[in-house]
Amino acid sequence: MKQMKMISFNNSNIFLKKALGLVVLSALVLGSFSCNKELEVKPSRYTVDKNHWKSIDDAKSGIFGMYGLMRTAITSDNLHWLMGDLRQGDFVATSRPDLKAIINGQLNASYPVLNEITNWRKFYAVINSTSLFIERSREIVEADKRYTPVNNNVDVAQARALRAFAYFYMVRIWGDVPLLTSSHDGNFEQHDRTAQAKVLAFAESELILAAKVLPYYYGGTDPQLPGEYFGITAQGLNGVLFTKISAYALLAHVSAWQGRYIDTEIYTKFIMDNYTKGDGYGPRYINMDELTGTGSGSPFAYKRGTIIVGFSSEYGNGESTANGHIEQLTLAQPLVQKIRPDIYVPKEVIAAAFTDRKDLRFGLDTITKIHRTPYFVNFTTDMPIFKKIAILANGGSAGSFAIFSSTALFTRLEELTLLRAEALAVIGQRTDAIANLNIVLSQRGVAAIEALSTKDLIDEIFAERRRELMGEGWRWYDLIRYNKIKGTNPDFNKLITEKGIYWPISKDVINANPMITQNTYWK
Amino acid sequence: MVRIIAGVTCAFLLSALCPSEAEARSLHATPLNYNLIFRQDTVPKVLKKAIDTAAWVNNVSRRNKGIDSLNLKVLALSPNISLQQMLKGGIAGLYVQETNAEPGTEQSMLIRGLSAPVFKRRDIYAVQPIVYLNGIPLTQDNPFAFDIQKYDYNRIGPATNLLAGIDISNISSIEVIKDPAALALLGPNAANGAIWVTTKQAKTGFRKISVNSYFGMVQAGSANTVNAAFENNFRKPFYQKYATVADYANYAGYLSDSTNTDYYGPSNWNDLYYKTKPIYSVDLSLTGGSDRANFRFFGGVTRNAGSADETSLNRYNATFQINMAPFEWLTVSSMVNVVKMDRSRNRSLTDRYAETRYLTDFSSPLSPNKLSYGGFLNEYEKAIDENSNNLIQGSFGLTFKLNKVKFTSSLMFDYTEGIRDVFYPSTLMEGNNYVSNYFGFNQRAIWDNAFTYDWKINQDHKIDFRLGQSLQYDVYKYNYANAYNGPNDFIKINLVDRNLEAYHSFYVFRYTDREKATLASFYGSAKYSYKDLLEFRAVLRNDGSSSGQPSSRWMIAPAASASWNLKNQFLKANNFFQDLSAQVSYGRSAKLFLDDRFSGGPQYRVEGGSKEEPTIPSYGGQGGVTRPYTSGWVGYGIKMPHTDQFNFTLAGSMLKDRLTASATWYLKEDKDMVLNIPLPAESGYTSEFRSGLGVKNTGLDLTLSALMLKSVRGLNWNTGLNFNINKNKLQTLPGGLKSLIIGDNKLEVGKPIDAFWVYQNEGIYNTNGEVPVNPADNQRLSFDGLDLKAGDPKWKDQNGDFVINQKDKVLTGNRLPVFTGGWSNGFSYGNWDLNFQIFFAVGNKAINKYDASRYDFINQEFTNNIYSIKEVTSWQTSSDVKSYPVYNVWSNVIPYRADQDLFLENASYAKLRAVSVGYDFSKSRMFKAMNSGISRAYLYVTANNLVTVTSFSGRDPELVDYTGMYTGAGIPIPRTFTLGIKLDL
Repeated sequence: MKQMKMISFNNSNIFLKKALGLVVLSALVLGSFSCNKELEVKPSRYTVDKNHWKSIDDAKSGIFGMYGLMRTAITSDNLHWLMGDLRQGDFVATSRPDLKAIINGQLNASYPVLNEITNWRKFYAVINSTSLFIERSREIVEADKRYTPVNNNVDVAQARALRAFAYFYMVRIWGDVPLLTSSHDGNFEQHDRTAQAKVLAFAESELILAAKVLPYYYGGTDPQLPGEYFGITAQGLNGVLFTKISAYALLAHVSAWQGRYIDTEIYTKFIMDNYTKGDGYGPRYINMDELTGTGSGSPFAYKRGTIIVGFSSEYGNGESTANGHIEQLTLAQPLVQKIRPDIYVPKEVIAAAFTDRKDLRFGLDTITKIHRTPYFVNFTTDMPIFKKIAILANGGSAGSFAIFSSTALFTRLEELTLLRAEALAVIGQRTDAIANLNIVLSQRGVAAIEALSTKDLIDEIFAERRRELMGEGWRWYDLIRYNKIKGTNPDFNKLITEKGIYWPISKDVINANPMITQNTYWK
Repeated sequence: MVRIIAGVTCAFLLSALCPSEAEARSLHATPLNYNLIFRQDTVPKVLKKAIDTAAWVNNVSRRNKGIDSLNLKVLALSPNISLQQMLKGGIAGLYVQETNAEPGTEQSMLIRGLSAPVFKRRDIYAVQPIVYLNGIPLTQDNPFAFDIQKYDYNRIGPATNLLAGIDISNISSIEVIKDPAALALLGPNAANGAIWVTTKQAKTGFRKISVNSYFGMVQAGSANTVNAAFENNFRKPFYQKYATVADYANYAGYLSDSTNTDYYGPSNWNDLYYKTKPIYSVDLSLTGGSDRANFRFFGGVTRNAGSADETSLNRYNATFQINMAPFEWLTVSSMVNVVKMDRSRNRSLTDRYAETRYLTDFSSPLSPNKLSYGGFLNEYEKAIDENSNNLIQGSFGLTFKLNKVKFTSSLMFDYTEGIRDVFYPSTLMEGNNYVSNYFGFNQRAIWDNAFTYDWKINQDHKIDFRLGQSLQYDVYKYNYANAYNGPNDFIKINLVDRNLEAYHSFYVFRYTDREKATLASFYGSAKYSYKDLLEFRAVLRNDGSSSGQPSSRWMIAPAASASWNLKNQFLKANNFFQDLSAQVSYGRSAKLFLDDRFSGGPQYRVEGGSKEEPTIPSYGGQGGVTRPYTSGWVGYGIKMPHTDQFNFTLAGSMLKDRLTASATWYLKEDKDMVLNIPLPAESGYTSEFRSGLGVKNTGLDLTLSALMLKSVRGLNWNTGLNFNINKNKLQTLPGGLKSLIIGDNKLEVGKPIDAFWVYQNEGIYNTNGEVPVNPADNQRLSFDGLDLKAGDPKWKDQNGDFVINQKDKVLTGNRLPVFTGGWSNGFSYGNWDLNFQIFFAVGNKAINKYDASRYDFINQEFTNNIYSIKEVTSWQTSSDVKSYPVYNVWSNVIPYRADQDLFLENASYAKLRAVSVGYDFSKSRMFKAMNSGISRAYLYVTANNLVTVTSFSGRDPELVDYTGMYTGAGIPIPRTFTLGIKLDL
C-alpha cells in the first residue's frame, strides 16, 4: 500500500457476481417454502371470514351481537335521553353547558358530546350487521344441521325488524338519511341521503315481513317457534328479543310519525288483541309499584316481558354500566353520592304537569300531606331528583355504587295504549280514544275522563304521555307529533317547515362522505 | 472477532473500515490516549487466545464505530435508570423526551424522526426502535391491551418501562445503529432503527472484581402554591364581564365559601407531595477464568426515586455468563440476565380513575391544605398498588470454526412478565372499593444459524460471506380482572375465578388476550474489500411474518453499501488528515405489525361497546360477535410495510486525530404503512385499515469531537458535539388521498405528520358590532352555524365564507423538534476530572392544554368526566404563566378550545443535564505506595438537571406528551445530587 493506485474492477467483478449469486439463490430457495407453515398462526382474537357462518354459534352470536350494537347506538353518550327528553322538555340542566345547549335548541353548539351523538355511524353498524345476517345466515342452515330453517327465518325476521327500527330511529332524528338495504360487505361507497318517506316505506315493508314470522315469545311453546331458542328458555329471553308485538309496535310508530293514524289504529288494534299471547312472558299493564320499583313487571329492571321494544343491561350478566343510562343524568344525593344531578325537573314544571292530586306518580297524599315520591324526591328543594328510573347495580334504588342497570326502553304497553288513544282521537273515534286513555290514567290513580267530557282529547293524551313517559326519551318526539296534529304553535310550525326539528349532522359524518351536507337549518 | 472487540475501542476514529493500523495507532501512538478517557469499559489488550465470548453479538458489522456510541464512562456517573435516559442527548439523530419523570414509567425514543403519525398513545409503540442486548432483540409490551381500555393514558398492568432494567455498570457499550445496510442485515426487528447494547464480557485471566456504588438525593420539587382565593380572583373577571344571575348561582361550590379553610386556608400541600428522597445503587462484578473457560457474574441493586408523590423504582439485576472452548474449533457461549423491578406509582387522580373507569363526583377537588390533603393520603395507606416486572433474557451460542468457515448457532430468549395488584379502599371512591389484578407476559424465542466464510482471494481482494436463517416466535398475553364494590375494605384480594357469587358482591370483569407472531428469515451478505481503499457490501434478506397477509407476508429486502477510504486513496502523504472516508449506503427493511388483525383479512370480533363503555361483554347475557365496526374494517390487499433508507456519510479525522468529524445526510422513507382511515359513517364502520401511508424523513447527523487541550501532566479538555436536523413529510395516503381528517388531526400530503391543526386566533370581539357580516346575505360570521358574539374569540376566516369551521383550521408548527443534539465536555487535570453535558431541542411547539383547561373552567368543571379532574398540583402557579384574553367562558363556541394557536407555544429548550467532578485515588502516590491491588478507585460527585433554558410557559417543555399537549400531568424531572465510587480490584 505504498503507492497510490486507482481501483480496477476487472478481477473483482467476477467474484462479486459469484458471491452475490450464491447468496441470492440460497436465500430465495430457502425462503418461502419451508417456513410458510410456521407462519400460519391462528389468531385467537377474532374469526376470519372463511370460518364464519358455519355453525349455530355464529348465528347465535350474530343475533345477540346486533342487538348489542343497537343498545350501544341508542345508549352511548345517553343519546336516547339527550335527544328525546331534553329539547324544549321538562328537564333543566344544572350546569353542564352541553345539556343546556340541547335544552335551548342550540344543537350545533361546539361540544364534544353533541358531535358524538349526531354521528349516525352506530345506527349504521346495526344496519350493516343486520343486512349481513340477512344475506349470509342461510349458509349456516346448510353447514350445521342444528340450525333449522325455522330458526333461521325467525332470526332473519329479527334482523329485518331491528334494521327497520334503526332506520325509524334515525329518521326521527335527522329526517332524510341514506338508505342502504344490503351490507355492501367490504365495499365502502359513498351514499347520498334518501327522502325519509322512502326510508320509512322500506322500514314498514320490512316490519310487515318480519311481523309475519316473529313469534309472540321465545323459548316456550309459541306455535311459530316452539322450543328452546339456542338452548335458552323463555326465562332467559324475556324482553330481550323482538317479538311479533314489537314489530307491530314499531309499525304503529312508523305510521304515526307520518301522520297515517288510520294505519296506526290498525296496528295498535292488533297489539291490543294479541299482546296476551306471550304465555305470561309477554307484555302487560303495570301498576305504580312495578313502574318505579324493581318488581316482576318493571320494564326497567332486569330483562322483562313488559319491555316491548327496549334494550336491557342486566347486572348479573356484567352489562351494568356507569354511562348510557338516564340515572347518570338524573340521580344525585340522597340516592347516590353525586352532589347535584346533571338534569332535573323544576318543581313548577312538576306542579304544572301533575295536576291531579291523586296521581300516584306525583301528588299530595291527602292524609299525610306529604308529596308522593315514586317519581321525585326532594320535591321541596330547588332541585327535585327525578327517581322514576333508578336501577342501581343489582336492583337497588339508592347506594354508593353508581353503576346502573336500567333498560333503555323504547316502548311498553302503556305507551302503545296512549298511542292508540292518540290515533283514535285523531281519526275521530273519541269514545274509544277516551277508553284507551282511561286505561292508563286509572293505573296511575288519575281521575278518568268522562265519556261525555268536552276536554281537548289530544291535549289530555299528550299531557298524560308527558307524565307517564317522563324520562323515557319521548318528550321531543311527542312535541313534534302534537304540533303536527295541532298546528297552533307558530314557532313550532316554523321549526317543522324549516326542518329545524331535525338534528344537525356530526362533522365527522360530513368529513367522511362529501355527499352528505349539513341540514340547512343548522348551516 | 477479537479484532472487532478491540475495534470498539477505536472510539472516535472515523475510518469506515477501522483498519488495524489505525487501531494500533489509537492505542499506542500518543502517550495520553483520549480515547481511553472516554471509554474505561473496554480493555484494549485482549489476549489473542481468549475465548470469543459472544460471537453472534458481534456478528453485525458496526460501521460507525465510536461515532454513534455513548460515552459510557461519563454517562455512568449519572443515576439514569432507563436506557432512554442514558441515550438522551447523546447520539445525533436519536431523540428522547422524558414526558414524565416518574421512575420506571414508559418512555419512548425516536431515531431520525417520526415514521408514522402519533395520534394515540398506542401509536407510539409502533415507531420505537429495537434494543438488542448482547444480540437478543428485546420484546416490549404490546399495545393490544389498549383494545379494552377506555382512556388513553397508561397501558393496563404495571406499565413499566422494560428498558429501565438495564444497569449501566453492566454495560460495555451502547451503540445506535443507523446505517441502512447494517439495519437491513438486522432485519424487520430493526426497521425503526436499532440500539445495540453489549454487556461487559467474561474475560480470561486472573479474577477481577469491580464494585460500583453511589448514593444520592433527589431534591424535592418546588411549587409556588396557591389556594382558592387565587382561583377565585382568577375567575372574577369572567364573572364580572359575562355572568348571568344563574351563572352566579352555579358558582363552583368549593370556591363559594371563603371561610372554608379546606380551600381558603394555607396552601401547603407541597410539603406532602414533593419530598427529598434518597437513591442508591450498588453492584459487583466478578470475572475470571482460564484459557479454555471463563465466566462473569454481575449483581446489582438500584433504587431510583421521583421528587414527587412517593414514586420510586427498585431494581435488582443479575447477569451470569459462562464461555467455554472445549476444542480449538468450538466455542460455547451462554448468558442469563435476570432483572426484577418493583415500581411504586403515583397517586394522581387521573391515573387512578383511568384504571378504575369509575368516575365519582369531581365538583370538590382535593384541598390544597396539608391537613386535608394529608387525610386523603392517609386513605391511600390502605390502598395496594403493587407493580412488578420480572425480566429474564438469555442466550446459548455455539460457534464452530473449521478453517475459514465459521458456523454459529444460537438460541436466544426473552421473557418479561408484568404483574399489578391494585386495591383502592372505599374511602377513595365514594364508598366503593376497587380491586384489579393483572398478569401479562411477552415471550420471545429465537433460533438463529449463520455461516460465515472469509475468502481471502489474494493480498488485495477479500470477500466475507455470511449466510443465515432465523426463526423468531413471539407470544404476548395478559389476564386482567377488575372488580368493584366489594363487601368491605379488608378483603383486598380478588382471586381470578369464574364464580361470581363467591366474591361477596364484588362486581367482577375479566379480560384476557393473547397474540402470537412468528418471523422467519433468511439472509445473506457479502462484503468485498479491495485493499484498504474500497469496501462493498450487499445484503439480501427474505423475511416472512405471520402477522402479514398470506399473499404478502414475505418480503425480499436488499441493501448495499460502499465506502471509499479517501485518505488512503488520495491523501496518503497528507499530514492534516489522519483519516477521510466517504460512504454511501442503502437498505430496505420490512416493518412488522404489532397487531395480528391483518393476517386474517375480513373478520368478526367481540366489539359491542362504545367509546364510553368499550367492554360490555354481552347482550341479554349472551355474547355477541360482529364485524369490527369500532376498531376498523380489515380487508385484503394489506401489504407488508417497509422502510427504505439512504445514507451519505463523510467522516474524517484531522490534526493528529485531535479533531474528528462525521456528517451523514440521510433519507428515510417508510412506505406502504397501514393507516386506519375514516370510512363513510353509513358503512357502519368508523374506519378501515388500508395500506399506502408513506412518510419521508430527511436530515443530517453531525458528530464532532475534539481534543482541545492535551498535556500529559497539565490540563486536558475534550469536547464532543452531536447534532441532528430532521424534517418529516407525508408522502402518500392510502388510496391516493390528498388529505385526511382523523379526529382533531389532519394529514395532508406534502406537509409534516406532526403538525398542529388549529384555528388562528386574532383577538376578541368586544361588541356584537365588531363581528363581520356577510354582505351577500347579511348573515353574521358564525362558528359552525353559531353566530359569534361579543366575548367570543376572533378566529381567522381563512376561506372567507363567513363560517368558521374546520376548513379554517391550519396546519402549523410541529410537535417534534427540528434541531436536536447534545454537547459534552470533559476536563482532566492530574487525577481530577470534570464533565458536563448539555442537550437541546429546538423548533418544537406544544399546545399548552393545561392553560386551555384552566381557562375553560366552565366546561371542564361542569362536564363531569376524567378531564374535569383537578389534581392537587393544580394548586400552584408560576411567574411564567401566560395570560390570555378574557373570553365569554359560557359561550357555546368554547372560546378556550385547545385547537387554536392561542395556546400554541414554542417548546424549544436547552438543559444542563449533568455536571460531575471525580478524583481517581488509584493514581495518587499514596495509593500506589500502599500496593493495594486496586487498579481503580474513583470517587465522584454528580449533579443532574441543573438548568433549563426555555421560553415555554409551562413547567418543563420536556413534559409535553406524544401528541404535543402539555397537560401539566407529568411528574417533574428532579434535580439530583449523587456521590459515588468505582473500584476495580
